[in-house]
Amino acid sequence: MKVLIIEDHQELARNIHDFLAKEGYICELSCTQEAAREKLGLFQYDCILLDIGLPDGNGLHLLDLIRKEHQDSNVLIISARNALDDKIIGLENGADDYLTKPFHLAELHARIRAVYRRKNLGGTHMIEFNEIMLNTDTFEVRIGNTTLDTTRKEFDLLLYFIVNKNRVLSRQAIAAHLWGDYTDNLANFDFVYQHVKNLRRKIAGAGGTDYISTVYGLGYRFDAHKHEAET
Amino acid sequence: MKLTNKFTLWYFAIMLVVLLIGGAIVYYEIQWKISRVEVVRHQRLNDLIAQQISKGGDYTDHPTRKRATVREIPADSMPRGEQSYYTRGLNWNPEFQANEFRLVVTSFYTIHGRHYRIATYSFIPSFYQLLPGVVDSFKWILLLLLILVAISGKLIPKYILSPFKRTLKVIQCFDLKQRKSILLPETRTDEFKELNKFLKKMTDKALEDYQSLKEFAENASHELQTPTAIIRGKLDLLMESDIRDDQAILIAEMQTALEKLSRIHSSLTLLTKLENKEYTAGTPVCLSMLTRETLDSFEELIQMKSLTLSCHIEEKVYIPLHSSLADLLLTNLISNAIRHNIPGGNIKVILTKAGLIISNTGLQPQLPVSELFERFKKGDPASDSIGIGLAIVRQICDLMNFNIVYEYVSGQHLIAISFQPSLLASKLLQNLNFPLYTVMQP
Repeated sequence: MKVLIIEDHQELARNIHDFLAKEGYICELSCTQEAAREKLGLFQYDCILLDIGLPDGNGLHLLDLIRKEHQDSNVLIISARNALDDKIIGLENGADDYLTKPFHLAELHARIRAVYRRKNLGGTHMIEFNEIMLNTDTFEVRIGNTTLDTTRKEFDLLLYFIVNKNRVLSRQAIAAHLWGDYTDNLANFDFVYQHVKNLRRKIAGAGGTDYISTVYGLGYRFDAHKHEAET
Repeated sequence: MKLTNKFTLWYFAIMLVVLLIGGAIVYYEIQWKISRVEVVRHQRLNDLIAQQISKGGDYTDHPTRKRATVREIPADSMPRGEQSYYTRGLNWNPEFQANEFRLVVTSFYTIHGRHYRIATYSFIPSFYQLLPGVVDSFKWILLLLLILVAISGKLIPKYILSPFKRTLKVIQCFDLKQRKSILLPETRTDEFKELNKFLKKMTDKALEDYQSLKEFAENASHELQTPTAIIRGKLDLLMESDIRDDQAILIAEMQTALEKLSRIHSSLTLLTKLENKEYTAGTPVCLSMLTRETLDSFEELIQMKSLTLSCHIEEKVYIPLHSSLADLLLTNLISNAIRHNIPGGNIKVILTKAGLIISNTGLQPQLPVSELFERFKKGDPASDSIGIGLAIVRQICDLMNFNIVYEYVSGQHLIAISFQPSLLASKLLQNLNFPLYTVMQP
């Protein structure tokens, strides 16, 4: 996947770049509207990450250009401004999603995948990983031929793990993904533990491999190679 | 009391004093003038008599002598200075058979070397007889003035104060949020001109300050959130690298602190926006539906804590509230009710058209409950929350003129919000006998 990161803060852009590069995405950076215009004129991108507060103007202007000439690209707005207006204007002008700083990189990745799935994979709502099948339309999880009785939160959690496989996911990142981040809900970490525990129990009960492992002190990891290691 | 009425009353008071003093002056002036005129007349008469004497002849029965006494006096009785004086006093008037005021004018003359004292008198109207007339006329003047001042006190201010009233109307309609400079009516009155000038200056300054405050809030949000995002990203990346267990703990602690930082920051930004009244109510939201949805989203948390949830949710409760704020209000209240609950406790949610009541079991708060609405006040200082959720709830209620009350009664935390400004929230708590149905139980 080709990603264009339009973000004026070099460090933040590099974080995103480093994280996404590990997924095998080809990332390009531009710090200003001018540079972004130039790149957009020359290349096509699958996904464009757009910061609204750019040094040479509001990033929403770029959105018009992108919508005119790059209909196929997914646009994800990244903004430090939680202003509701920006959110609504951004989504009305054709952005596909909106993410408020500070976000977890895993969250950004999950959003990119979700937007990409919605738009580019057309009719298929199935995500497959080894024996695990997720239907994003019916929120149904299947292990082999067994349908798992999962709650919506557990489904979201599993999807989050699979999208961010082989990565350490902190409890904060998981809590923010499951419950959003506008409530004063730090106590939700216990609930993360509960959810992960339930999910692991359910997958194991259906005869699936327990890919999820605890990372001491930090959180959890979905270990894609566990299956191969065991067999 | 209206300004014009005050003015009118003051005028009445001043008029009364002026008229009383004026009456006294008029009374004494008339008295003096009458005496004066009579004295001059009598002096002339005395002079005439003196002329008759100097001409010689018999004037004894002449009309001039009717009320005159002429007497020759020795030279040493002649006064040295003034040649004439007068006296007044009550005397018997035989013509009218009554005691009347008599004025006597006595003059001294030296005619052909002989000295005469000529005294003439007349009866003048008593001053006491004048008094009722004076009082009467002043009574009429006062009445006339009263009527005129009362009428003009009603009519003239309407005309004079009309620019002021228009200014008042403009100011009442002034809203910082609309960011429009005010347009004040023209006036020729200096005071109003000055007032308008001042108001214009003040509102312009307020608009400017509001704008810069808003910009500051947005800039602060932008400038602080970006470094936080960078740190968070770096930590995410650091977690992926090969780290030791003790380092992992350090990273986890940093993550927690960072989480708290970003929450505090976004909550404070939100509070600022609420205070700036940046959220205006659009179409009324259906609180019944929203409450149900919010409860659904917390279903798992409620189950995990083994809580019993019972509800009484009236249908079609619409309130004019920004939908994000309604969402925030419910989420904060319900998540609080879950978080500060005891294992195996209960939550009751009652929604009626009059208000919302949420009650939950919980430990005794260590602060007076009314203080829990303040920022960074927590019932349990050891808890992990940042203590800003209720401050946001109260801010939303203040914004919408909802009355909110928090009570702790025998192990139950009760929060009531009244949607009608006229109804106190504590009234809602007096009647809790709603048919509750259990939604969830462990």
